[in-house]
Amino acid sequence: MASLKDIKRKIKSVKGTQKTTHAMKLVSSAKLKRAEELAKRSKMYAQKITEMIDEIALQIAKYNDVSDNIYFRTVENPKTVDIVFVTADKGLCGGFNSQTIKSVNAMLSEYEAKGTTVRLRAIGKKGIAYYRFNKREMLDEIEGLSASPSYEEAAKFIRACVDDYIAGKTDKVVLVHNGYVNMITQEIRVDNLVPVDPSTLPEGSTSNSELELEPDDDDTLLEALIHRYLEYLMYYALIDSLAAEHGARMQAMDAATTNAKEMVKTLTVQYNKARQEAITTELIEIISGVESLK
Amino acid sequence: MKTMKLEIVTPNGLIYEGDVKMVTLPGKEGEFGVLPEHASLVSLLETGVITIETTEGKEIMVAINRGYVKVDENKVSCIVDGAVLINDEEGRLSQRMAEAKELLKSAQTSDVAIAAAVSKVESIKKSY
Repeated sequence: MASLKDIKRKIKSVKGTQKTTHAMKLVSSAKLKRAEELAKRSKMYAQKITEMIDEIALQIAKYNDVSDNIYFRTVENPKTVDIVFVTADKGLCGGFNSQTIKSVNAMLSEYEAKGTTVRLRAIGKKGIAYYRFNKREMLDEIEGLSASPSYEEAAKFIRACVDDYIAGKTDKVVLVHNGYVNMITQEIRVDNLVPVDPSTLPEGSTSNSELELEPDDDDTLLEALIHRYLEYLMYYALIDSLAAEHGARMQAMDAATTNAKEMVKTLTVQYNKARQEAITTELIEIISGVESLK
Repeated sequence: MKTMKLEIVTPNGLIYEGDVKMVTLPGKEGEFGVLPEHASLVSLLETGVITIETTEGKEIMVAINRGYVKVDENKVSCIVDGAVLINDEEGRLSQRMAEAKELLKSAQTSDVAIAAAVSKVESIKKSY
């Protein structure tokens, strides 16, 4: 039986933890709102840019086969695959990071079973730490980007991947992140970055009028547009992941606060019992002392 | 007077939306103006300044780094990486101008294009 003093100390420490987790929950919910807003605003950009790519691809398809284009060709058996994955920089968010890592691992073993070389590009401290610990080499490691996504940084990062793809160093680039569904649900999202699958582009309403292009070179325009599109996908994955991270953390901290509350309750009961017991023993001692003097 | 719709979108949201009389854009192959009922066109945009003439006859400047424009008969959509609306109703002109200059200077293009755009931004101040 723990002494009264021990129990009291324990209650105090649990109460302190409860305060911390509660504060973290509040912080996360505020940050979540911001991230959500950011994601919503950028959706419009996505809509416009996919519309435009679609239209230009169609335009070009009139004259020559799109599948000849390096960005649209299909690769049956890729020799090398780059997996880009996004994890958080911070922990204490439940299974958020481990879910991403788990699905990356599943993809890893799937590709490696087929004899494909897989190169990892990690964004976020937690993912980097995991693969470092497991002595798995990573091609690229970026910290700090998942906590504060910036379009420029995301663009720079993805450009390196695309350059590798064009240079033939890799045949396929896959992007994995844990995305935001709603306040309490996250979902692993896997996007194939390059080659771009033309069927994933939404069918836009295409005008019949002839489109004038400037510069008057289809490839330059399409290439630049696709670069923008990929940059945006990367950036979106970052904000989506950030929103999901805050959602997961909010949930985890909420659960922790509830648990702490529960614990304080049981500890208080324990404390009261122990106190009562001490009083009873003392009384018995006094009474039996008096009894023996008679 | 015919008007057209103009939209300027960045990954961080909508920068400008409204009916306009005319818009001048910094195209990859030179600056060009667009009036309502222009033929369909898609063009790359360079670092520079978009000048908008609204239906009320006001002139609005938007600094951009790079992007695209798609012109339809009565709609112009600009999709850009970064944009700063320099003069709107809310004022705060000097702050916006500083932001715009920063955006332009961080763009990865030739110094000439940046210098031209920056001087254009600076000329706004004089006219006010």
